[in-house]
Amino acid sequence: MIEFVNVSKKYNHEVTALENINLKIEKGEFVFLVGPSGSGKTTFLKLMIKEEEATSGKILIDSKDITKIKKKEIPFLRRKFGFVFQDFRLLYDRTVAENIIFALRVVEASEREIKNQLQTSLEMVGLKGKENFYPNQLSGGEQQRVALARAIATKPPIIIADEPTGNLDPVTAEGIFKTLEEINSRGTTVIVVTHAKDVVDKMNKRVIALKEGKIIKDDMQGGY
Amino acid sequence: MGTKMYLVKEGYDNLRKHSSKTFSTMLIICATMTILGVFIILFQNVNVNVATMRQEQGLQAFIEDSATDDEIDYMRDEINNIPGVKEITYLDKESAFEDAKEQFKDQEYFLEGLDKLQIFPASFVVKFSDIEKSESVREAVEKIDGIYKVKYNSTTIDAVSSISKVVNIFLLVVGAVMLVISVFIISNTIKLAVYSNKREILIMRYIGATNRFIKTPFILEGAIMGVLSAAISFMLISIGYVVAYSKLPQVGSSLGVFGFVPYTSLWYIILIAYIVLGLFIGVFGSSVSIRKYLKV
Ligand SMILES: Nc1ncnc2c1ncn2[C@@H]1O[C@H](COP(=O)(O)OP(=O)(O)OP(=O)(O)O)[C@@H](O)[C@H]1O
Ligand SMILES: [Mg+2]
Repeated sequence: MIEFVNVSKKYNHEVTALENINLKIEKGEFVFLVGPSGSGKTTFLKLMIKEEEATSGKILIDSKDITKIKKKEIPFLRRKFGFVFQDFRLLYDRTVAENIIFALRVVEASEREIKNQLQTSLEMVGLKGKENFYPNQLSGGEQQRVALARAIATKPPIIIADEPTGNLDPVTAEGIFKTLEEINSRGTTVIVVTHAKDVVDKMNKRVIALKEGKIIKDDMQGGY
Repeated sequence: MGTKMYLVKEGYDNLRKHSSKTFSTMLIICATMTILGVFIILFQNVNVNVATMRQEQGLQAFIEDSATDDEIDYMRDEINNIPGVKEITYLDKESAFEDAKEQFKDQEYFLEGLDKLQIFPASFVVKFSDIEKSESVREAVEKIDGIYKVKYNSTTIDAVSSISKVVNIFLLVVGAVMLVISVFIISNTIKLAVYSNKREILIMRYIGATNRFIKTPFILEGAIMGVLSAAISFMLISIGYVVAYSKLPQVGSSLGVFGFVPYTSLWYIILIAYIVLGLFIGVFGSSVSIRKYLKV
C-alpha cells in the first residue's frame, strides 16, 4: 500500500536527506525504521504525508502517486495516517477525552462515531477511567497513550510513530510497543522510527535501516 | 452537534478565551460605527430636507424674452411630457413682478423706478410628482429650446444642496476611514487568535483538517465581533437620536427651516448599513489575517 520509487529528497538544493529510495510496505505490516541521527528517518515519514515534497521519484499510497496530488487533497491523504510524535503533541488545556474528540471533529466524524471511537480507542490503549484527566495529571507513558488513542481514533489504515518512546523509560517504552503491536494485529499498518535497540531486537519485525539517506539494510525479521 | 455547530462553537469559544481583547476590539469598532452612524443621520437629514424643499417648491425654468405665445405653449407641452412632472404653472412677467413685490414687502423702494418687464423674465414653475426624478426633470427642462436657465425655486435649496454635497463627501471619507480602522483592528485581533491557537492548528493539520475547517472558526470570530459591534452601535445611535429628536425642530413643521427626520424613516438605513459593514469588516478583517498567518 506504500511504495517509494527512486525517491530522493534534498533540502534547499544541497542537503541530501534521502537518496534513491526504493521500497514497498504492504498492508498490515509492522516496520521499524532505524538509523543514526540525521540519516533521513523523519524525512521519510514527512514525505508520505506530504509535509515535505520529494525532490524526485514517485511515492504511491494505495497505488496513487501522491507527489502529483493537489494541495486540496492533502488533508484527505493525511487522514490515512495516524501520527505519534516523541513529544506527544497533546492539547494541555483539554482533557484526555477532549483531545481524542478533537481529532474526531477534525475528520468530521458523526456524533455516534465520536462516542464509539472515543471508547474503543481509550480501551485499546488502556486509559479507561482517565478520560477526564488533563495531560499534566498523567505520566509520560500515559500521555503517549493518549496520543496513540488520538491517532487510532479516526481509524487510519496506517500508524506512523516518530520515536514514540524517545522521552520514556525502557519499561514504559515496552508497554507502548506492545500496544502498537496490538494495534497492528488488528490490521493497521504500523511504521515506527526508533533508537530502542533492545525492543527492535526482541520484537522480530521488519527492520529498515537508513544511513546517510540510503537504505543499508531491509530485513523481514531483523534486528537493529 | 454536527461539524457546522462545532465550528460555530469553536468561533464563540475563541471569543471568550480572549474576552478582554474581544472587548477592546468591539469598543473601537463600536466607536467608529457610532461616528459613522452620526454621519449617516446627518446625510439622511440633509438629503430629506433638500428633497422636501424641492418637492414643495419645484424648480423654475426661465423663458427667453423672444419666445412667442405659441412657442411658450409648445414648451409647456414638452415639460408636461417629462416623466416626474406633476404640474406646471406659467408665471408671466407681470406676476413675477408681483411676486417680487411680495418678497420685498417692507423694502418696496428696491423696486421703485425699475422697468419691471426688463428685469423679471417669464418662467414656468414646475413641480415634481416624484422627487427622485427631480434631477432628471431638471436636466430635461434645461435642454428645451427657449429655456435659458433652470434653478430650484429657492435659494435655500441651492444652499442646502451644496451642504448636501459636502456631507456626501464627508460620509464617504468617514466611511472609508472607519472601514480601514475596523478591518485593521479585527485583523489584528484575529492574528493574535491564530497565534494563540498555533498548537491546535499544527495538530489539526497532521490529523487532516481541511482549510475550511481550520479557517471557519476564525472567520466566525471576526463576523461575530463585527455584527455584535453593529448591534451595540445601532442601539446607542437609536437611543441617542430618539432622545435628541424630541428636542429638535421637525421636517415639515416650517418649510425653509432645516427640520429633522423622524427615526421611523431612518432606522432601517442605519441597521442595514451596520449589518453589512459589520459582516464585511468581520469577514474581510479575519480573512486578511488568515491568509497571512495561516497560509491556507
Ligand atoms: N527542514 C530542513 N531543512 C534543511 N535540512 C533539513 C531539514 N530537515 C532535515 N534536514 C536535514 O536532513 C537530514 C535528515 O534529517 P532527518 O530529520 O530526516 O533525520 P532523522 O533520521 O530523523 O534524525 P534524528 O534521528 O536525529 O531525528 C539531516 O541532515 C538534517 O539536517
Ligand atoms: Mg527524526
